[in-house]
Amino acid sequence: MRRLLWGVVLAVGAAPALAGQRSTGELLGQAHEFYERLEVERALPLLRQIVSPNWPFEVTPEQRVDAYKYLGACLALAGKRDSAVLYFRAAIERDPFTDLDPSRFTPAQLATFGEAQRRTLAVAIRPVQPARIDPRTARVTFTVVATHAAFVDVNLSAVGARSAHSLYQGTMDGVRELAWDGLLADRRLAPAGRYTLAVVGRSRVTGASDSARVYFDLRHEVAALEDTLPELDRRGLLPERMSAEAARRDVAKGLGVAAAALLIAGAANGDLGGSERGGADVVAATAAVTGVVAFLVYRRQKGAIPENIAANARHRAQRDSANASIRGRNADRIAATLLLVSPAAGEGTGP
Amino acid sequence: MRATGVITGAAILLGAAPAAAQRELTVAPLVSLAEHRVAAGFGVERSLGPIVGGVGAIRLSPRLAVAVRVLGGSLFGAKGVLDRDVGELGVEASVATAPWLSLQAGAGRRVYGTKLARQAWTTVGLGAAARLAFAAGTIQGVGRVALLPVVSVSGLRGPDVAFRAATGLEYRVHAATLGVEYSLERYDFPAAAGVRRLEQLSTLTLLLELRLR
Repeated sequence: MRRLLWGVVLAVGAAPALAGQRSTGELLGQAHEFYERLEVERALPLLRQIVSPNWPFEVTPEQRVDAYKYLGACLALAGKRDSAVLYFRAAIERDPFTDLDPSRFTPAQLATFGEAQRRTLAVAIRPVQPARIDPRTARVTFTVVATHAAFVDVNLSAVGARSAHSLYQGTMDGVRELAWDGLLADRRLAPAGRYTLAVVGRSRVTGASDSARVYFDLRHEVAALEDTLPELDRRGLLPERMSAEAARRDVAKGLGVAAAALLIAGAANGDLGGSERGGADVVAATAAVTGVVAFLVYRRQKGAIPENIAANARHRAQRDSANASIRGRNADRIAATLLLVSPAAGEGTGP
Repeated sequence: MRATGVITGAAILLGAAPAAAQRELTVAPLVSLAEHRVAAGFGVERSLGPIVGGVGAIRLSPRLAVAVRVLGGSLFGAKGVLDRDVGELGVEASVATAPWLSLQAGAGRRVYGTKLARQAWTTVGLGAAARLAFAAGTIQGVGRVALLPVVSVSGLRGPDVAFRAATGLEYRVHAATLGVEYSLERYDFPAAAGVRRLEQLSTLTLLLELRLR
């Protein structure tokens, strides 16, 4: 029961808003029907109701612009040119992209609308549409408009950045599409972040000025990059020089191995007459000679260990080669970076 | 003087692969000169001869390696001593506990054969191997000791004393390692019918270890 009560309360509360949208839309549709049947006198009051401050229901910006446009069209048909211009200007000021379809409106209406455009300077940028662009093969497209001939400057800049990248500078009249290759003035791919696209126009007819701006977020879609191999530290490299003390220890080590060989031979069973000592003697002599030779070689090479130096050089070369390959692959991946564009509201930190 | 022979190389080769990269695979062909001595109540019988074979080792991790050895040869007896053939198959695991020390455990099956009889030996050994780097690591001194707590010999009771010891050098040249090693195995069996059997095998082995990957 309680739930039912809440349901009724919510339904009653939501009803005016829904009814409002439906009322404005229905009224606008009705006005369109009257207009199409050339019943201008019946269409006009409906359209005036919609743009009236006293209209109690919600009117979307698109509905308001449409109402002004049809008010202008109706008044142009009725021969009230000045009023028609006034309403057309109201539509143009609210949406500079407003236009009349030549196949649906009369030449007189088009002429009146043109007059309204000439009297009103408005520049605008169409909201940025979400897009996924490969800058190597495609472009980000922005649409700007100047309602009549004007000198227009279109600049792109990262939010917070001092410098801007000029996308267009010159005279334009009407709608123009601007293609952006994703590069900034330094010819590098624009970094990810929030951007402002600003247009400033100065009328060549009236001298009036206008400006507009939109925001969008730019992100990079790039395959994961590989890490390069770290610098080789002491643990990753062989010692390239041997200390004099280490060289002397080699002599002791050689003698130690020799002694071990003789000791093992001495561990043979005496009842078996010992063992064949020749093998032990060979190993002992080899170990002793190795220790001495290692020491002499050290003195001759003044501590340098050529094998280790060469091995380290090979190791470094392998690492450098591997890193070069990794950098090459990373560069290829970065070169294939995709740009993800999405609309944003106002200045912010961006994605 | 002629003899038939047997064995060895085994102890030499246990854990012969030097520490290296993970999953490293090595093979080491080897040749040994072996001397076998046995006393079983008829004086000391000596036989001497070559043994050839090889060791294959794989390093399963930076610390763990497994090696398999296969050996065979002939020992030629001294005057009045029968020649003998010898063959051996063994496996050994090695765990590095420090850069210079590893613990080893292995088992092997060795067969001596003469014109008159065959004798099979089964051994299990536990030991350690120590390495001593020379000349900045291009040369290593190697020492091994293993006790053989399980020795089963056909027709005999197990020995009271059984051990294996070896020492040698390894010279690393690029991907190859040349090794020379002296080893001694000693088995003292308990007395039976007033006779105490003693056996001993000493070898001088030369091996060339090749790193396959």
